[in-house]
Amino acid sequence: MTRLIKILSLGLVLLLGAGLAFAGDDNGLTEKYTLWIGGHYTDFNDYAKKAGEYNLGNDEFLPEFKLNYFSRSDRGIFRLDGHYYDDKNINAEIRTTISDVFKGKFMYRSLIKQASQNLLTEIEAREYFESTGVAGGKMLTHEILDPGADYNTHRQEILGQVSLLLSRKNNVRMIAAHRTILTTGSEQKISSNHCFSCHLTSQTAEVDKRKHQFEAGVDAETGKFDIGYRFGYRYFEPEATDASTYYDPAKHPLSGGAAAEFSSRVIYHDSTMAFSTYPTTEKTSHKVRVKGDVGKGRFSGAAGYSRAENKNTSLTTDAWSGSLNYTVPLNPKTRLVAKFAATRLSADDPFIDLPTWRDGATDGNEYNFDYTRYSALDRRTGKLTAELITRLNKKMTLSVLAGYDRVERYDYPLPDDGTETSKLIGQAKLRIRKGLKYSSTVKYRFESISDPYVSARGMFEESGHDVLTPLVPTSTWIFYFQREDLRYQDITTQPTQVHQFEWRSNYRPNNKVVVNLGVKGKYDKNGDLDSLDVEHFSLAPNLNFNLIPDQRWALTAGYAYNYDKSRLPVTVALFDG
Amino acid sequence: MADYENKVHNIYFTANFNPTQMVRLFGTVTFNKAQGALQEVLMPDPEARLEGDLEDQDFDFENAPSYSDLDYKLLKFSLGVEYKLTPTVTLTADGDYADLTDNEGYIYGIESGSYFMIRTGVKLDL
Repeated sequence: MTRLIKILSLGLVLLLGAGLAFAGDDNGLTEKYTLWIGGHYTDFNDYAKKAGEYNLGNDEFLPEFKLNYFSRSDRGIFRLDGHYYDDKNINAEIRTTISDVFKGKFMYRSLIKQASQNLLTEIEAREYFESTGVAGGKMLTHEILDPGADYNTHRQEILGQVSLLLSRKNNVRMIAAHRTILTTGSEQKISSNHCFSCHLTSQTAEVDKRKHQFEAGVDAETGKFDIGYRFGYRYFEPEATDASTYYDPAKHPLSGGAAAEFSSRVIYHDSTMAFSTYPTTEKTSHKVRVKGDVGKGRFSGAAGYSRAENKNTSLTTDAWSGSLNYTVPLNPKTRLVAKFAATRLSADDPFIDLPTWRDGATDGNEYNFDYTRYSALDRRTGKLTAELITRLNKKMTLSVLAGYDRVERYDYPLPDDGTETSKLIGQAKLRIRKGLKYSSTVKYRFESISDPYVSARGMFEESGHDVLTPLVPTSTWIFYFQREDLRYQDITTQPTQVHQFEWRSNYRPNNKVVVNLGVKGKYDKNGDLDSLDVEHFSLAPNLNFNLIPDQRWALTAGYAYNYDKSRLPVTVALFDG
Repeated sequence: MADYENKVHNIYFTANFNPTQMVRLFGTVTFNKAQGALQEVLMPDPEARLEGDLEDQDFDFENAPSYSDLDYKLLKFSLGVEYKLTPTVTLTADGDYADLTDNEGYIYGIESGSYFMIRTGVKLDL
């Protein structure tokens, strides 16, 4: 809290100082204050956490105030807006502009969010023998250690931004910004025990997360080109004590025996351990931008590099990105907009070091399950679009777009044996305008996708497992994960064809009435799956009226409807001890 | 395979009325109705695919779709009045009311509840 107060105080002092500096110069000074002082009373009935999601949730009276201040002089503008609703819901913003030399912004935003408790009532099942009417011993259960817990989180965001003109020659301008986001409170955490004592346990956990972001850079105009550079740094750290839970001793779920056998299959058991932890992460980024005129057209381009690291595990992800946009008029009525973007993402491949199964077994019946986990994040992407925009006549503008996207996941499902997804895009848009009275836009977009992302593990399992080979030479056992070899049918909800339609219209018969009417529709499907029939359909019409019958009245009314339908595979979880 | 359907309706109305130069009245009404439901689950017949004795197995999925039903209604009212006592002093009063009806309940149980807020104050324009 002390650090928060220091940050708030420093930001306020700097910007208020800047504001007072030019407010002291009364050349053409105009000032306006608005102060509102009052209070509010809140009352909740029945379940408060949904209807009053962003309130403290208490039946109480609280003071409240708002302050707005605006001043303008020959040297610049100073603005302050603040609203205190309660001690968890506060907004404050200060903006200062001093000629074209200095711009500053300081913002503090605080809000609370209530969270409901997952009652886990669906986590309740037990084996049952229908022929004998007897319940079995294999079961799935849950345990709520904190029934009726009051979960909520308090989010505070502090932002400071400055922009300073360093040199009028080439308009060299420096920018710097810092953002801190603090999240405190409590949340529900659910731990899952091993399959031999299959149950979930819910408990309250403290939330204390801190994120710091810093950005600095410089922009300049070099005559023909505008160039810029940005450095970014982000650090996230959890300050709360990790939640911990007790993991049961490994043993047979019914007889309670075979402890040595079961315990040799798990990394931990019969111990209290931290779970559901947040990693400390750090990210640095560099980005250069350039824009200017080439030939008859104008271009803009950017190149970037970033590295993110999980400080707990020392795993890193590197990302390279580049983009280039070019706009050129082909004739007085037609222009071409071409865009290209590419990225490359590379993540560390951690070695998973597991205890040896049945370590030290005298019959040689032991096995080492260590492996390297290759990342599905590893990929190269490329996007290319070209859009032709032409004015057909005084009322109509037509644009036609063609595009191509490609994603290469070169380490998924196996290293250097990845999948490639390609997407072809076609789009047409017609805009009709009749003065200020009427305008309408119609758009259709089509996408054809080959090899969309699929789970490499398949969905259905062939009957029987006698085709599988035991991993351990001295054992006939087949492990659960080996049964993945029996699975067939790629599973995905990603489409191979997408059709999108949109119509928007605006009708303004006079200065008193405005009518907006529109509809969006989308249909997609995947026709490349053997026995699955994946498709989605959505439709969203909307209607809005604005009416100002006279200077005393202003009315707005509207209706929006959203319909979504998805046809997807459904799986049922089965358990057998 | 199964179909999942979502239907969301939103209706809103806002009004601003200045009967005199000293008085301003304003209000908003919004109504939101959201429903989501899984349709009939069409599962393959496991007894035709598996070998062995299945007499103790129960593959009845009749009630599976009802688990995920969602049905919310949210009605919100907001009303306010401002009365200008002098060119620089204005009295204000406004209030919000929200009523949520949860007809199905999901993993959080039934979430029906209401929220009421009334606020009064004085505004100084300097």
